[in-house]
Amino acid sequence: MNEHRIEIVVNGRKRTASVEPRKVLADVLREDCELTGTHLGCEHGVCGACTVLVDGDAVRSCLMFGVQADGAEVTTIEGVAPGGGELSDVQAAFRDCHGLQCGFCTPGFVITVRAFLAENPRPTDAEIRSALSGNLCRCTGYQGIIAAVRQVVRQRTGLPPGAEPPASDIRPPSVPVAP
Amino acid sequence: MTGHGRFVEDVVWPDTWHVAFLRSPVARGRIVGLDVEAARALDGVRVVLTAAELNPLVRSWWQTAVGPDAPQPPRRLLAAEDVRWVGEPIAMVLATSRYVAEDALELIELDVEEQPPVIADHLDRWKVEGEVGLVHPELGTNVAAQVPSPDRGMPMGNAALDDVLGTAPHVFDETFHQHRYLCVPMEARGILARWDPYRGRMEIVAATQGAHEVRASTARLLGIDETQVHASAEDVGGGFGQKMYMSTEDHCVVAAAYREECAVRWIEDRNENLVAGGHARTEDMRLQVATDETGRILGIKAHHVEDVGAFPTPGVGSNAKLAAAYLPGPYDIGQYFFSGVATYSNTNGKCAYRGPWMMETVAREQMMDIVAVELGIDPLEFRRHNMITSDRLPFTTSSGMVYETVTPRETLDQVAELIDYEGFRAEQAAARADGRLLGIGLAAYIEGSPGFGVLGAEQVSLRIDYDGKVLASTGSGSHGQSVETTVAQVVADSLGVDYEDVRVVQNDTAASPFGSGTGGSRTAAVFGGAARLAGEKLRRKVLRVAAVALEADPEDLELDLGVVRVKGAPAVALPMAQVAAMAYAGHAAFPPDLEPGLEAAHRIKAPTFMFSNAAHAAVVEVDPGTGQVRVLRYAVSEDCGNMINPMVVEGQIAGGVVQGIGGVFYEHFVYDSTGNPLTTTFMDYLLPTAADVPEIVYGHVVTPSTTPGGFKPVGEGGAIVSPPALINAVRDALRPFGARLTAQPLTPAVLLDIIEGNTR
Amino acid sequence: MKPAPFAYEAPTTVSEAVDCLASHGEEAKVLAGGQSLVPVLALRLARYEALVDLNRVGELDYVRREGSTMVIGAMTRQATIERDPTLRAAIPVLREATRLIGHPQIRNRGTLGGSVAHGDPAAEYPAVALATDATITVIGPAGPRIIEAADLYDGPMSTTLAEDEILTAVAFPVWCPGSGFAVREMARREGDFATVGVIAGVTLADDRISRAALALFGVGATPMRFRQLEGELLGADFLAVDPTDFGETLAQRLDPPNDVHASTAYRTRVAARLVAEALDAALDTARQETTS
Repeated sequence: MNEHRIEIVVNGRKRTASVEPRKVLADVLREDCELTGTHLGCEHGVCGACTVLVDGDAVRSCLMFGVQADGAEVTTIEGVAPGGGELSDVQAAFRDCHGLQCGFCTPGFVITVRAFLAENPRPTDAEIRSALSGNLCRCTGYQGIIAAVRQVVRQRTGLPPGAEPPASDIRPPSVPVAP
Repeated sequence: MTGHGRFVEDVVWPDTWHVAFLRSPVARGRIVGLDVEAARALDGVRVVLTAAELNPLVRSWWQTAVGPDAPQPPRRLLAAEDVRWVGEPIAMVLATSRYVAEDALELIELDVEEQPPVIADHLDRWKVEGEVGLVHPELGTNVAAQVPSPDRGMPMGNAALDDVLGTAPHVFDETFHQHRYLCVPMEARGILARWDPYRGRMEIVAATQGAHEVRASTARLLGIDETQVHASAEDVGGGFGQKMYMSTEDHCVVAAAYREECAVRWIEDRNENLVAGGHARTEDMRLQVATDETGRILGIKAHHVEDVGAFPTPGVGSNAKLAAAYLPGPYDIGQYFFSGVATYSNTNGKCAYRGPWMMETVAREQMMDIVAVELGIDPLEFRRHNMITSDRLPFTTSSGMVYETVTPRETLDQVAELIDYEGFRAEQAAARADGRLLGIGLAAYIEGSPGFGVLGAEQVSLRIDYDGKVLASTGSGSHGQSVETTVAQVVADSLGVDYEDVRVVQNDTAASPFGSGTGGSRTAAVFGGAARLAGEKLRRKVLRVAAVALEADPEDLELDLGVVRVKGAPAVALPMAQVAAMAYAGHAAFPPDLEPGLEAAHRIKAPTFMFSNAAHAAVVEVDPGTGQVRVLRYAVSEDCGNMINPMVVEGQIAGGVVQGIGGVFYEHFVYDSTGNPLTTTFMDYLLPTAADVPEIVYGHVVTPSTTPGGFKPVGEGGAIVSPPALINAVRDALRPFGARLTAQPLTPAVLLDIIEGNTR
Repeated sequence: MKPAPFAYEAPTTVSEAVDCLASHGEEAKVLAGGQSLVPVLALRLARYEALVDLNRVGELDYVRREGSTMVIGAMTRQATIERDPTLRAAIPVLREATRLIGHPQIRNRGTLGGSVAHGDPAAEYPAVALATDATITVIGPAGPRIIEAADLYDGPMSTTLAEDEILTAVAFPVWCPGSGFAVREMARREGDFATVGVIAGVTLADDRISRAALALFGVGATPMRFRQLEGELLGADFLAVDPTDFGETLAQRLDPPNDVHASTAYRTRVAARLVAEALDAALDTARQETTS
């Protein structure tokens, strides 16, 4: 059998699997790691439901083979919440703002938003919409999802989306923003 | 959200065989060769099933909502001697994984002798009798349905209307076209089934809007008892109508599980879902409208033509009867006649899609604008002039619908205010002076929700368990409607317990009462109403049991947040857990007429039709250089009666509106003239994204209905009325170019042609 | 929608990669970012005996200045190009075009070399390479060679690379001061492939056009340059150029494809407008560059 032994650190835990090279990362996560929170909505890289972090970057796990993640660190939706029933601020905002209805696309959105806000903590409204445009949702009309991102921005910065902090508030980024 | 949701594809059973279907590559033709031997021989393949193996298993095949005697296309599990649409299943591989199953598909040798297909879009659009041939030779006609039905003694015309059309000062005649666009749930279809011949039991987990329908259809198909089938759903990733009934592929999976006596799993991929998941819309409507000198509508004659594809579901897939009932909408239209014909074609069959009958509103609301402009009346004023006002309620429409609690005028006025209708014309004029094309569009409607037949009697069963917590079970099948939340809210409120103490179970034939699932916008009114009455029943029971313990009269007790108290003596309190313990175990002192236990159920009988109303308004900008449209503002005013949860209401509206934006501007499932589909991936079938939608502004008018709780339908309306509001806005923006704009979709190319004067 | 089986090779150096590719012959395919190739495999529109994955070839991931060119390794991610401050200053058009490629999730994985080698006629990078007069370095068993961007494409998604060659780098010349570029693209939605795309570049010397480039994408089998028309711009006073006229003239020479996204006529008309806009914007930028 044409299988490769791979080792991936998924959500902080080392996982090993023997996979065919053709098996996409999403299927490796879902089947071999039994982490079914990563959903496959199109399998051709458009819908964004399968978005995960690979070495900190948001990528579509349907457009990567599992073998390519050998040695990488992967964060899936299961690795986002702190545990004990608590939610991350992004997840809590989705709940508060009715940012999900059927919930199928939600894992991809949560991962995308997490990566986006780590890189751009004070996005404008247009930047939020642009950042979300690689993820498709069919239930919410995006209204609750956009509201959720705005809520996180407000909570983290104390400012509305797109607002510049007062000059005295700008500090050199001595502490890296946690991904 | 946390990754702990569980969808059908997340369910893992041991020894399960993965399905891939070989599908027809041509729209119409004879199968002259089908060799599956090489596929059968592939490592990891359990079996390759063809019509010869599978089709003889079929005992009967019909949907509960239409009944056993309603006409159906000549259904089959797998195509036998001929194929009738691109995507029709021909063979079914069961393999150790989907990867291997797809490998096997490539080894199947199929030879089809092509025949000219019946493709409505390309045969002088909507020509009924295909001179090229018959989609279903068994039927001898391509007509799937007609209203009025000539053989049922219905009146075939309205002489008074013809008189009006012949004599009215103004008569307008326009035909509107709506293209093919689709439900596209983010989770495609999927089903797992396993048959245990020793226990005589079929177990099914499906992505469905109604588990009871899955159970019933399976039992009918295989000729087994419904009690032998346990069907349930996990989380369902959207449906919008596509998962209301069992599809052909779903039937194939249960048949294969039955035949092979094993577990079978089919998780549809996106390519399949676009090509072979039920299709929608695809229709024309001609409206002839007569008005008097003042612009009062004197009569409307409507003719509806639907392309239902080859194998529509349910029944023959026609929505004309509901379209006929709802077409008068919020207006007094005088004389009325509606006719319709539904035709088969060699394309994928039609399924229900969020407001399946919505062409009546799409056509009517466009016509309102066209007529108003022709008469020189503002479209808002023209609507007001003809709209049913509250002082005329109850009002019987020209189609016989009786409105009791609708408020179309109030929602129209509110939406005009929300969108700043008055101020817009100045904004538009200023923009035009700058070479920018802005337009505003209105649309109003009455959202009818069917409460007849199996859709009109739904149950909520409540049980307070030993710990005092409440289990509510319903026949609903939430797939993104937050039924778990809203039913729990209604139960908590009517029973008198904390919301957190109510847990809702649904979409499981072993755990939920019989029900038709979630669809038809009925959830709040029907399940909400049943929940309210069941909650009230159980509350009375709780108080009777508590009365025994407290040696009080039940009338003197009150129940709030799960604690029974004596009115006026709040110190005397009995928590629900104690009441429950008495009810189940401490019942020695119960009077003879007090049954132990704490359970109650109510099956509601809904009115034949339930109605809500709304008005939508859109402001759009058309780029004169590219024809691209941006929706700048969008406002909705809705009267869905008492709102159980405004956030859920607005979420339903927003989802529907954005499906309308998709339908009008982006989504189009295209067949070429040979019936070959061209938009088979998300690269070509374009869904709107967050960057393509405006912020939606909501206004609510709250007029309770007469049903328990005062709830009204709301699930489908957003998708019904947003298309005409958007089209009207574009037409308004392009008015300087004389745009008629009666055919969707409004692609940049279509609009640029109008701007540049190449078409009208 | 699952890919057919293939053998997988993950070389860590360019020379290993060349050997791998050679050993599998015509049945092998190079895997870069995979953002176009993997969907093709998943839809089984193509199948290969082997994939040679370049993602572990670290020596192909770099951005560096070499004289008057910026040289970018083939496996440099699009997201890296988007963020690189040196590139942003030297080849601003590259960043502008990069931001039009797909979505962040795509750019985090997609590579410069993958996009250029794939040669989608509606993609941004091939057109940028063509517009800027970039050169492409490829390597095969016979050693490296350089291909002018203008000679790279010979059909839709077809290049003049030999089956056993790997694209290793693209060198973008830094246009001299006084140059301006602009990208204009019409896509149905944000991140979609271009229905029509235009890249215009000009250099002004004493208010006269001394260098000009116009590349269009999404309008033919390959990205296209219009050298004769560009030639007509040379020497012209920038104020005398009528971009609208120029756009109309250029559009008359197009015969763009007809598909579900747009008709031939639509693409032609939009191209005229976008050429005008891009040329106008490029002239503006160049003018600002020369006066600043």
